[in-house]
Amino acid sequence: MSLESVLFYFFAAISIVTSILVISSKNPVLSALSLILNFAGLAGVYLTLYAQFIAVVQVIVYAGAIMVLFLFVIMLIRPEAERNYFQERKSFKMLTIGIGVIVLGQLMFLIISGTSMFTSGGHSEQSLEVGTVERIGWELMTSYLLPFEAIGFLLLAASIGAMVLAKKKFE
Amino acid sequence: MTFTVHDLISLSPVLLIGVGILATLIIEMLVKESEKILGWFTFVLLLSVAYLSLILLDHTALVFEDKFLTGGRVNIFFFLFSFGAAVVSLLSMEYIKKAGIHFGEYYIMLLSSVLGMMLISGATDFIMIFIGLEQMSVCFYVLAGFNRRNERSLEAALKYFLLGSFATGFLVFGLGLIYGAVGSLSITEIVIGYETLKTSPLFLTGTLLFIIGFSFKIAAVPFHMWVPDVYQGAPTSVTALMSTTGKAAAFSALIIIFSPIIQAAYPSFFTPVISVLAVLSMLYGSIVAISQNDLKRMLAYSSIAHAGYMLIGLAAWNEKGVSGVIFYLVAYTFMNLAAFGLISLIEKRDLRGTEFSDYKGLGFKQPVLAGLMALTMFALSGIPPFAGFFGKYYVFLSAIEAGMTWLAIVGVISSVISVYFYLRLIVVMYFDNSDEIVMVTPSTSAMLGIMISVLLIIIMGVAPGSIINLINSTF
Amino acid sequence: MIDLIYLTVLLPLIGFAINGLLGPKIKNEKVIGVIGSGAVGISFLISLGIFFELLGKPAAERHFIVNLFQWIKVDYLNIPIGYQVDPLSILMALVVTGVGFVIHVYSIGYMHGDKGFWRFFAYLNLFIFAMMNLILADNFVLLFLGWEGVGLCSYLLIGFWYDRKFENSTTADAAKKAFVVNRIGDFGFLIGMFIIYLTFNSLRFEEVFAQVKLGGIPESTFNMIALFLFIGATGKSAQIPLYVWLPDAMAGPTPVSALIHAATMVTAGVYMVARTSVIYASAPTIMMVVAVVGLLTAIFAASIGLVQNDIKKVLAYSTVSQLGYMFLAMGVGAFTAGIFHVMTHAFFKALLFLAAGSVIHGMHEEQNIQKYGGLKKYMPVTYLTFLTGAIAISGIPPFSGFFSKDEILWYSYANAGFAFWLVGAITAMLTAFYMFRLYSLTFEGEGRFDHHHVHPHESPKVMTVPLIVLAILSVIGGFIGIPEIFSGSGGNQIKNWLDPVFKPANSLLAKHGAHSHFEEILLMAVSVAAAAGAIYFARFVYLKRKDIAESASLKFPGLYRLLFNKYLIDEAYDKAIISPIVKVSDGFLWKFTDVKIIDGLVNKTASLIESFASQIRKMQTGVAQFYAVIMVLGIVIAFFWIMASL
Repeated sequence: MSLESVLFYFFAAISIVTSILVISSKNPVLSALSLILNFAGLAGVYLTLYAQFIAVVQVIVYAGAIMVLFLFVIMLIRPEAERNYFQERKSFKMLTIGIGVIVLGQLMFLIISGTSMFTSGGHSEQSLEVGTVERIGWELMTSYLLPFEAIGFLLLAASIGAMVLAKKKFE
Repeated sequence: MTFTVHDLISLSPVLLIGVGILATLIIEMLVKESEKILGWFTFVLLLSVAYLSLILLDHTALVFEDKFLTGGRVNIFFFLFSFGAAVVSLLSMEYIKKAGIHFGEYYIMLLSSVLGMMLISGATDFIMIFIGLEQMSVCFYVLAGFNRRNERSLEAALKYFLLGSFATGFLVFGLGLIYGAVGSLSITEIVIGYETLKTSPLFLTGTLLFIIGFSFKIAAVPFHMWVPDVYQGAPTSVTALMSTTGKAAAFSALIIIFSPIIQAAYPSFFTPVISVLAVLSMLYGSIVAISQNDLKRMLAYSSIAHAGYMLIGLAAWNEKGVSGVIFYLVAYTFMNLAAFGLISLIEKRDLRGTEFSDYKGLGFKQPVLAGLMALTMFALSGIPPFAGFFGKYYVFLSAIEAGMTWLAIVGVISSVISVYFYLRLIVVMYFDNSDEIVMVTPSTSAMLGIMISVLLIIIMGVAPGSIINLINSTF
Repeated sequence: MIDLIYLTVLLPLIGFAINGLLGPKIKNEKVIGVIGSGAVGISFLISLGIFFELLGKPAAERHFIVNLFQWIKVDYLNIPIGYQVDPLSILMALVVTGVGFVIHVYSIGYMHGDKGFWRFFAYLNLFIFAMMNLILADNFVLLFLGWEGVGLCSYLLIGFWYDRKFENSTTADAAKKAFVVNRIGDFGFLIGMFIIYLTFNSLRFEEVFAQVKLGGIPESTFNMIALFLFIGATGKSAQIPLYVWLPDAMAGPTPVSALIHAATMVTAGVYMVARTSVIYASAPTIMMVVAVVGLLTAIFAASIGLVQNDIKKVLAYSTVSQLGYMFLAMGVGAFTAGIFHVMTHAFFKALLFLAAGSVIHGMHEEQNIQKYGGLKKYMPVTYLTFLTGAIAISGIPPFSGFFSKDEILWYSYANAGFAFWLVGAITAMLTAFYMFRLYSLTFEGEGRFDHHHVHPHESPKVMTVPLIVLAILSVIGGFIGIPEIFSGSGGNQIKNWLDPVFKPANSLLAKHGAHSHFEEILLMAVSVAAAAGAIYFARFVYLKRKDIAESASLKFPGLYRLLFNKYLIDEAYDKAIISPIVKVSDGFLWKFTDVKIIDGLVNKTASLIESFASQIRKMQTGVAQFYAVIMVLGIVIAFFWIMASL
């Protein structure tokens, strides 16, 4: 097992554990902090996959900006631990967990049986190049120009929508 | 990447709506009481987009590095989205005033959602489908919760958002698997490599998740659970938009990926899944609709059943089925627009008054509205000679031709059941009576929208041949 | 210009829409009348323009199909809304819109003051719309649509005065009778259409006829098709055995009787047979059936007409009789002569009905001719025009009826034999007799009405001018069809005009031996002399020696009563068909099968589904988490399926 693989599984494990923590911890602050860790772990996974740019963006934007904002909001609102739906229905909770496990198993089976058909080639040199900022910028401005523009409109719509749902004027 | 004039012209419907969104934004910002003019501005804008789409029907072009296609069937969808949304903007003008949500942003969201739909229907790449879908969905989430003072509206928005994101998660995961199997997200590549891909578990799982993601959007059982709550809770004009053009956009995505595979005459791997979805949706939708007391909820279940009928056309896996689905979508859009338009007129100021009991004796109190409503119900239940009948007819026919007569039979049984609840409204309107006075919002614009829809229902019932020919000619 | 043919269909529809939707708001009779008549008038002008355009083209090129849009398309079944412009259809269009226009104008005066004025014009325009579809259709389905449409309008207009009494029942009953009897015929027509589709895989005239010409299809198939289509025709065109509705149809306003039940709709069956002449020519046996049915109807109805006392009844039976003539013409292969008679009959029978309407109008709604008499000094225009019509229908040269009727009689002789001619000629004689009985009792002699209460008066100009127009047409209308023995070879204009349409059929028909000109002139002279004699005799009996008529009816009371009671056919139908059906449907079908079995089953199923539905609606809990779980369950099942099928 190469160092790359070791790092990959390490970061992947972090992501998995923290994501479980996000949904299982009762304290919202703890959830948010776990999510930050989760993002960091994902960034590590990206790095081992030669997606340096995305890894950096992941840390700066998600872990850095968005989650900090989240934390601020949570601290200000201080939500009390609401009784949630599953706490009242324990058997239902077990059922959902059971279903989740089944889906997980199915997906793993399908993916593993699928990948065995393909020999995964080590195009690390090529991949290395793909992940650079320059390369991504180039792609965004040429073959992915339309998605790039379209996302502009998507963000516009999302921000207007957020304002509509939040601003005082609409009361 | 170079653009020719031809490309620009064929892209003009999309460009126009993009410019329109920005223009609406600026008008909203600069003009005082902009909401008064924005309704008509939106209407005219959408109408001109619809017109452009029609005249550019044979202007086929593949633009943006093969990421986007225009012309032919895509333009039929463009037309459907923009014209349907134009009718919705007519229906909205008075309604949002009544509901107290008379803000210019409403129209911006409306236009943005149409842009999203157009991006979906013209996509030749899964990335574009996804972005378009998100664009549309985000607008729908916001529109569903637009009435912030109304609890049901907020609940609808939140539920729609949560479950929608959940479904999108599966969809994106599916796209990831597809990318893993194909090494590309371009549909052309997939069709080229289909011979080897059709045995690849990764590809099949990915596509299955993709189908499931869109089953959520088209409201097929068992991915339909959000529909009744959201359709009922959202403002009626928004429900009209979501249930018609929104559903059409989701179907267009399925058609985009299946149609080239169908055309290359590859056998279908997914026919069993789609058939099961179709059967479940038809029966569940029609049966549960019977026990509903709220008209919007009843129409929500009916829309589930209609999704089932349309899925038959996809399960049939032939070109006739695909054009049948498109025909059905057009018919269904205008039938539902008329129905929701009428509901929005009769709805009360506190957004109640959508129960069956509120329609007692409407036939005598409001003969015109009741007559239009009765006609729409007849059309929805598939009684000839209205549009709904031919929609079902073409779809069932394609199933029979594909050797899936049983599917058509289930469809017919479900249609028979559905007659019960559609006609129930007519019975309530004409044979029951109550002394309660029905207050109808006087609205010329909404009446115009309803009249356009009803006229189209009739025209499609009188001349279905021409329309199906037009659709067929785009293959 | 030819492309504008759709306007001739569309304009009446627009007129219908305006008058039908806005009529109650417009209220002004003049506006409604002008809209209604104008729509038809403009249609007529367009038809006229197209007619002249066709005239300017060589005979072989006078055929166009204007496709408007695709209507139904399923596999082989390809049915456009398409209109066919050819000599036959444009001739019929001219007759329908021309006579229709005149009758519309007349109606403005006749219906003056009626509370349903707008409704009347709306229905009339709808009728013209349906009739034009019937005539111009380029496929059987569109023709059938028009066919049903005119039936509907006929129903609506017969029962127009739904609150009035008619004979022993109401006008609504008369309307119902017309509708039901027509449905029987329509059923035959539908079956015929199905066989055509099964045989030829098409319902478009062009394609079907082209395949007929190719041959290779057994005669028995053609016999079936022709027979069932003809059953349809007997219903619409009131032939034996389905003629019974037409006399009752007189319950409608008189302009309706003139337009629908004399000039246009009832000739639809004749038109349909002419349109499908190729099929009939391939089924000689059925041609003979058509001829015999036509002939029997002609003499049968004429004999009933001899003794009726209601002015409209006489004309109704006369119409049935004349329609018989037309079918006789079709049956003996004289398609041109049949269509020619359709045209001249439209002129003089519309004239007679409108004149009768004018009389009824002037006599305060009295319809019994025994209570008329001496009206010629009160209503001179009506009198003169009615006389013109009567002469025309009697077949006195050079009035139009002579040419068309004589042509039919001649072809019956030449193609079918002397017996056909003889019966036809006797019918002509009877026709002349009852027409002049009617004329004499109405206009000549002493007034037999109550002079104190009834003051006959001439009708207003808006009614008399149409009469004059139709009278002129009844006089000169025949000159387009002067027999070739007088006008020389190729001198028969209508024959030249229609020839391209009937050429395929004529080429299939057996050729008959040549007859000498002497024979033709002799037969013509005999029939004219017989008609003239009958006229003289009628005037003699009903003006000079009234006692003869009375003593005749006393001497043969059985025969008189049989004729007066119309051979008791209505009563026989009632006993043999209607009451058994009513009994079975009431006792067995309704009270047992429907109520007990069907309703019971339906109610059970419905309540079962309903209880099921309220059970599963409980799944809709409103909790988003639960919804998500259901979704995932769906995905789990889908994954299992994909794992199993890999």
